[in-house]
Amino acid sequence: MRLRSLESRIVILFLLLILAIQLAGFFAIRASIERNARASINDELVIGERVFQRLLKQNAQTLTQGARLLASDYGFRQAIASDDVATISSALANHGARIGATLAVLIGLDHSIRVAADKTPAPGLKNAILPLVDSAEQTGGAAGIAIINNHAFQIVVLPVKAPITIGWVAMAFPIDNRLAADMRELSSLQVSILTHRSGGNWEVGVSTLNDAEVRSLIERLQESSNENPLPTMQRLEDKEFSSRIFSLVQDSGQTSIVVLQRSIREAIAPYRQLQLTLLLLTALGILLAGVGSILTARRITGPLRQLANSARQLGTGDYYHGTIKIQQSDEIGELSNAFDSMRESIANRELEIRRLAYWDSLTNLPNRAQFVTLLDNALQHARKYRLSCHVLMMDLDRFKHVNDVLGHSFGDALLVQVAQRLTALNLKSGDQVARLGGDEFAILLPDSRIEEVQAIAARILESLETPISLDDQTVDLGASIGIAGFPAHGSDAESLLSRVEVAMYAAKSSGNSAMVYDPTMDKSSQESLSLLSELRRAIDNNEFRIYVQPKIVLETGKVTGVEALIRWMHPKRGLIQPDDFIPFAEKTGFIRALTRWMLEQAAALCHTWKAQGLQLKISVNLSTRDLLDQDLPAKFVEILLQHQVASSSFCLEITESSIMDDPIRAQQTLERLYAMGCELSIDDFGTGYSSLAYLKRLPVHELKIDKSFVMNMEHEADDATIVRSTIDLGHNMGLRVVAEGIESQAAWELLARMGCDRGQGYFISKPMPAEQFLDWLENWTARSPAQYESMI
Amino acid sequence: MIFRKRTAAILVAACAQVPASAASLQVSVLDGSNHPVANAVVYAETDGAQRQPTQLRGATIEQKERKFSPLVTVIQTGSDILFPNNDTVQHHVYSFSRPKAFELKLYSGLPSKPIVFDKAGTVVVGCNIHDEMVAYIQVVDTPYFAKTNAAGQATIGNLPAGTYQLRTWHYDLPHGAPIPKQKLVVDATDSAVSIRIPLKAGAVVH
Repeated sequence: MRLRSLESRIVILFLLLILAIQLAGFFAIRASIERNARASINDELVIGERVFQRLLKQNAQTLTQGARLLASDYGFRQAIASDDVATISSALANHGARIGATLAVLIGLDHSIRVAADKTPAPGLKNAILPLVDSAEQTGGAAGIAIINNHAFQIVVLPVKAPITIGWVAMAFPIDNRLAADMRELSSLQVSILTHRSGGNWEVGVSTLNDAEVRSLIERLQESSNENPLPTMQRLEDKEFSSRIFSLVQDSGQTSIVVLQRSIREAIAPYRQLQLTLLLLTALGILLAGVGSILTARRITGPLRQLANSARQLGTGDYYHGTIKIQQSDEIGELSNAFDSMRESIANRELEIRRLAYWDSLTNLPNRAQFVTLLDNALQHARKYRLSCHVLMMDLDRFKHVNDVLGHSFGDALLVQVAQRLTALNLKSGDQVARLGGDEFAILLPDSRIEEVQAIAARILESLETPISLDDQTVDLGASIGIAGFPAHGSDAESLLSRVEVAMYAAKSSGNSAMVYDPTMDKSSQESLSLLSELRRAIDNNEFRIYVQPKIVLETGKVTGVEALIRWMHPKRGLIQPDDFIPFAEKTGFIRALTRWMLEQAAALCHTWKAQGLQLKISVNLSTRDLLDQDLPAKFVEILLQHQVASSSFCLEITESSIMDDPIRAQQTLERLYAMGCELSIDDFGTGYSSLAYLKRLPVHELKIDKSFVMNMEHEADDATIVRSTIDLGHNMGLRVVAEGIESQAAWELLARMGCDRGQGYFISKPMPAEQFLDWLENWTARSPAQYESMI
Repeated sequence: MIFRKRTAAILVAACAQVPASAASLQVSVLDGSNHPVANAVVYAETDGAQRQPTQLRGATIEQKERKFSPLVTVIQTGSDILFPNNDTVQHHVYSFSRPKAFELKLYSGLPSKPIVFDKAGTVVVGCNIHDEMVAYIQVVDTPYFAKTNAAGQATIGNLPAGTYQLRTWHYDLPHGAPIPKQKLVVDATDSAVSIRIPLKAGAVVH
């Protein structure tokens, strides 16, 4: 049992408590016992004194009776009356001995000792006897105590009546060991009788103590005096006594005392039994408490340990084997119940979390993580059984636009609809639709041929042709689908997924709705990936070049401005056309950097030309991203300031489609640009989505007819109609109209006749490096104005 | 009864024989507090060589109801006393007194012969089995004696004229004290005398 564990702490606490209580009780009772013993000793001594006095009295009575018997003996009386000293003396001796008197004297009526049993009466005898004689006269016999030769005697005085008192006989009986022994037997007290003459030593007459103790007692008595009386407790020879001293007789300088003593140990002895019992009980109590506390502690910590083990097991994720088997109805039971229900809840929550982790809650389709797992399993299966397994990945076109325009909840509902359409495709069992996230869906076709998959792709596209209508809104969604499969395109889930994604993006960018993966896509995607970094590098390394294409007034042939175009001079690949990197830049948002670069270059050019006295407007293309860029106007202002160019020298060209992506924000940006004073132009008019309602609100200055119409107008009547209508529309809206893609004189003439204001195209000039422009302009202007007029 | 008769007879006899110069002496005995003393023995002794006439008269001390009676008897030296036991129980009469120590072992009725008291002095008689029984016998050398009655009066008759020592004895005289005596001159006429004697403190007059 570790010392810091709860179990040992409980046990120790219990034990300490019990120990404390038991010891407290033990000591209290012991002290009480001691007190009681001492009190009872005291009582015993008090009673002992009374007993002793009573014993003496009884003894005296006995002696008196004995002596009386003697004194009334006829022969004795005869002898006493005979006046024969020798006879009397022998009679005294004889009769005295009969009853054990050590001294016997006859006292005459004159109170003098007439005869003594032995020839030399002790000196103190007369003094001791005479007072007794007086009282014997009155009471017919008296007894008392006297000290004779430093010993205590009981003296009995009786009249000798023959028939009237003819004298008194006095007999003395020593107070000897018999009395002391009697006393000890009666009272269990030690009795010592000691006498001393004042100034002399104490002598012991009688004692029940042993010799050593007696010696010790005498020593103590010697030390004591009236001012410093013997204490009530003494230690004699290793024994403790409680004592009581009283005087036996005091008589002309001689004192006889009785020392009653009680051995403390003897007195306490009976209590010893009690104390022993108490000690045993204490020990037993401690033992029981120890055992009880250990059991209790076990009862508490046992279940706790069990719970801890269960918790550990739960920690390993095993929710089903950690059931607690504690069936107590107390707090521990409560704890274990709570624990158990916690275990269940955790198990349930984990299930829930797993579900969330692997299922898309919106569409109730498996999510990406689940799909990957399914794909893994399908591949394992396919490997084992030599099947081919395909993955189809689908991305909704312009979903973000829908989300932005119609709101996210609408977008969610849309996704649900798409999911339903997918799952309604009548796929094989084993085929699984999943939502990978955002607007991406995937279908796993574990045992399939490529043709089947392509057919499914076609079915998907077909189903999406039907617009989705929700809440009175009808949305037309398109999708890009990529297909890849095992073993053709990859052998593990990761590579397959990445390849199908590549295929999907390839489909997206190429405009084909569905494409099967081809290794060449990798290249272009790889190329795309590297392209971005190359683009970045290109900006830093000044690989871009600004080209310009002049714009002229169709009527006069005067050059009014140029359109700035970007070209990329790749160190390895040479000149790269905008079509090869602009769309990518737009997709990746890098277009903003390019636009900025263009604006800078254009501003620099403007500045140079102004310095040379040329007043030409320079047009720069803005992309969708640029329109949505909040910082664009500020950036533009900065550039203008930096190059000291007025905004009026600039014309910014925006395509219809780019406006329509986010018309409101586009409008905001355009208004700001317009407020700055630069011109705004709608590029590629007629080719993209447009809303005339918006158009009329936008602060634009000119329309540029897309070159596709211009180039065909000579041959196609429809195109010509479109061009003419566009020119009229533009003019009616107060806008200047520019025609792009003039490639022949005829076209120029036609356009001029239609009333088109400006034009640009290969016929006038191909885009040229900016440095070459001035030369070209000189050349162009050198041609006589008449030449142009003739063209009209 | 017999005692009285005998005393009366003796007195009459004494009176009959009296010479012409005899008279009676009335003695009154008092103690220290002037209380009359009963049972005091008064007796007149001549001082001188002159012998007293001997007039022996016997006495009786009977035992009845565990008592000697009379308590005090006075006789002239040489007289005898009879100790009849008229009691319901036997008695063991004894005396350790120096004038006459005697013993009548347990008997009842009349002893065979009376006890002769031939020495003057006080004889105290007791019974061995009855400690309270006591009788006093005062043995005197003179025939002229009397015992005081309850009133403390005694009369000594036929006392010839002359000079006497009148002694008074009582059992309660203090121990060791001499018998009070008083010189007495008697003539032929009757006289009275009062004698004061010291008695032991606490003495009870029987």
